[in-house]
Amino acid sequence: MKLRTLVIASKELRQLRRDPLTLAMMVALPVLQLLLFGYAINTDVRHIPMLVDDHDRSAVSRDLVRRMEATGFYDLAGDVQGYDEIDRALRSGVARVVLVLPARFGADVEAGRTAQVQLVVDGSDPQIVGSAQNTAASLVATRSAQIRVDHLTRVGGHLAPEPIELAPDVLYNPDQRTAVYIVPGLIGVLLTMTMVMLTAMALARERERGTLEQLIVSPVRPVELVVGKILPYVAIGYAQMTLILAFGHFVFDVPIRGSFGLLYLLAFLFIAANLAVGLFFSTLAKTQQQAMQMSFFFLLPNILLSGFMFPFEAMPHPAQWLSQALPLTHFLRIVRGIVLKRSNFDDLHVELVWLTGILVALVVVSSLRFRKKLI
Amino acid sequence: MSVAAEVIIHTEHLSRRFGSLVAVRDVSLDIRRGEIFGILGPNGAGKSTTIRMLCGILDPSGGTGTVVGFDITREAESIKERIGYMTQRFSLYEDLTVAENLEFYAGIYGVAFSRRRARVSEVLELTGLTDRRGQLAGTLSGGWKQRLALACATIHEPPLLFLDEPTAGVDPVSRREFWERIHDISARGTTAVMTTHYMDEAERCHRLAFIFSGSLLDVGTPDEIVERRELRVAELEVDRALEAAELLGRHPDVEEVAHYGHILRVATRHGVDPIGLSAGVFAGTNVSVRSARETRATVEDAFVAMVRADG
Repeated sequence: MKLRTLVIASKELRQLRRDPLTLAMMVALPVLQLLLFGYAINTDVRHIPMLVDDHDRSAVSRDLVRRMEATGFYDLAGDVQGYDEIDRALRSGVARVVLVLPARFGADVEAGRTAQVQLVVDGSDPQIVGSAQNTAASLVATRSAQIRVDHLTRVGGHLAPEPIELAPDVLYNPDQRTAVYIVPGLIGVLLTMTMVMLTAMALARERERGTLEQLIVSPVRPVELVVGKILPYVAIGYAQMTLILAFGHFVFDVPIRGSFGLLYLLAFLFIAANLAVGLFFSTLAKTQQQAMQMSFFFLLPNILLSGFMFPFEAMPHPAQWLSQALPLTHFLRIVRGIVLKRSNFDDLHVELVWLTGILVALVVVSSLRFRKKLI
Repeated sequence: MSVAAEVIIHTEHLSRRFGSLVAVRDVSLDIRRGEIFGILGPNGAGKSTTIRMLCGILDPSGGTGTVVGFDITREAESIKERIGYMTQRFSLYEDLTVAENLEFYAGIYGVAFSRRRARVSEVLELTGLTDRRGQLAGTLSGGWKQRLALACATIHEPPLLFLDEPTAGVDPVSRREFWERIHDISARGTTAVMTTHYMDEAERCHRLAFIFSGSLLDVGTPDEIVERRELRVAELEVDRALEAAELLGRHPDVEEVAHYGHILRVATRHGVDPIGLSAGVFAGTNVSVRSARETRATVEDAFVAMVRADG
């Protein structure tokens, strides 16, 4: 009976070999996604086009603009005058940010009065708003402190030391590179996508072509059929994972700090859980097309709620509960933990319990459903 | 006792309900080893449900049955190992070659690994597929697909073969060749149980069962089944065929009238002479009979008569 499982697995491999499109998709998809996420999608906001509306035109105002530019965060795109022009520039996208310096800016600074600077920000992209405000605020704060010190030195006084100083220490990804964060997560997303879709389609195809009926009449047992069919896909899942890790490490300099063995071991639970989801879909779908649609439908909450795109902590509670039920949520913590933070088995045992629970539930539900549907 | 040993399928009061629908009711059958046994009936009569119960993939709601010596409810797995199954869909893997399809089913049916290669070659030779062994099954024509499907279903040399409309949508030459192979297989002791809608095929079966609305109406050789209907059939050549058909159709002893141009085919019940009856009916009308001859009643006549009587 083990032999029959192997017979089915080798048949599945043969069919895969004859299907160059699927095979290409399984290799090309990870690489393509990796390049997209690694190069194109970058959440470190830089080079924001900035316009300046300088009513002051003093050495002090020009100095502030130069300092803003020097952060590398803003690209000076020219000058504007008045709110109408500012509005037009933001609407057309010529600039995302406009710095408005009032007429008495330089004089106020020289005289030791509080000088006002206005930062007009295009609020349609919340990520830019946040970064633009933070960068400008910290720049202005530093500059203010400096000016104060200058003043005091000039009048012969001296400044008391800062009462509190924050010393931030960002661990694991000190340069805050997106690729370091995205690449491990991408392993989970891609495995979810390909594992669910391939399993669902492989069984839907047998049903569509009538070969499933032929197998049901044969002495093959459901467990032999299912294991035989998904075994090759487990291997493919591991191959994809290895490919992404290698690519991420050598092309994007993603450090791999933790244990490979632990990662590959825990990945098995995750792969198996996704295969069970695919199996469940295959019992619902009558055609390969339906199986494909269901798989895509499943992918969306995974990408949005798992913590791949948005932090888990930022989600409202109902979304968090839903998120806990997704295998990807737990695998992301595992893979990011092991790859970036050198997490060990003890650190991850909560995720392990979750993943095991989800897997058991999925296997029970889908095998009940599968058995029923066979007859 | 040797008669009992010859029985390969035995059912008693086999029934199957789906909710409130009774798909099969009270079917008691004996099918003998080596027979070509046809199951006839209109669409939805319960043919497929019966076959699925006999294959051990559907539990009966009532009644019992044994197939190749095993109970269909309790020993379904033993049955599955000893039967072949082929449907009109020719369930082949189109992206595998002819030989790979055979090797796959040989593996599934547990043909010993050492014998697998020899058995595949043997079957290829037998079905004339040797030259096409490397061809993808999807690129075969309908007739060749049918051959391959039969080869796959018999790769493990099962003593019993179930064929569900095996010749649907296949050209006449392939159909004839297929029947020759079925007779070859049966001559070597394999039992074939098939469903079909073709009446010429029904005539080629050793015995037939008629199923209608889930019930077994009759079982017997084609001749027995026709004889029991007590039908007599005549072909008349008439000049006003439409009018003549209408007149005959009103007669209580007429089972059926069909007209093909100027030819009428008249079937009568209870052994009434169809030519004499027609002459009586046409007397005094302006229908004239140019020629008349009595002909043998066919399974089709019997089939129509049974469906009509019961419906």
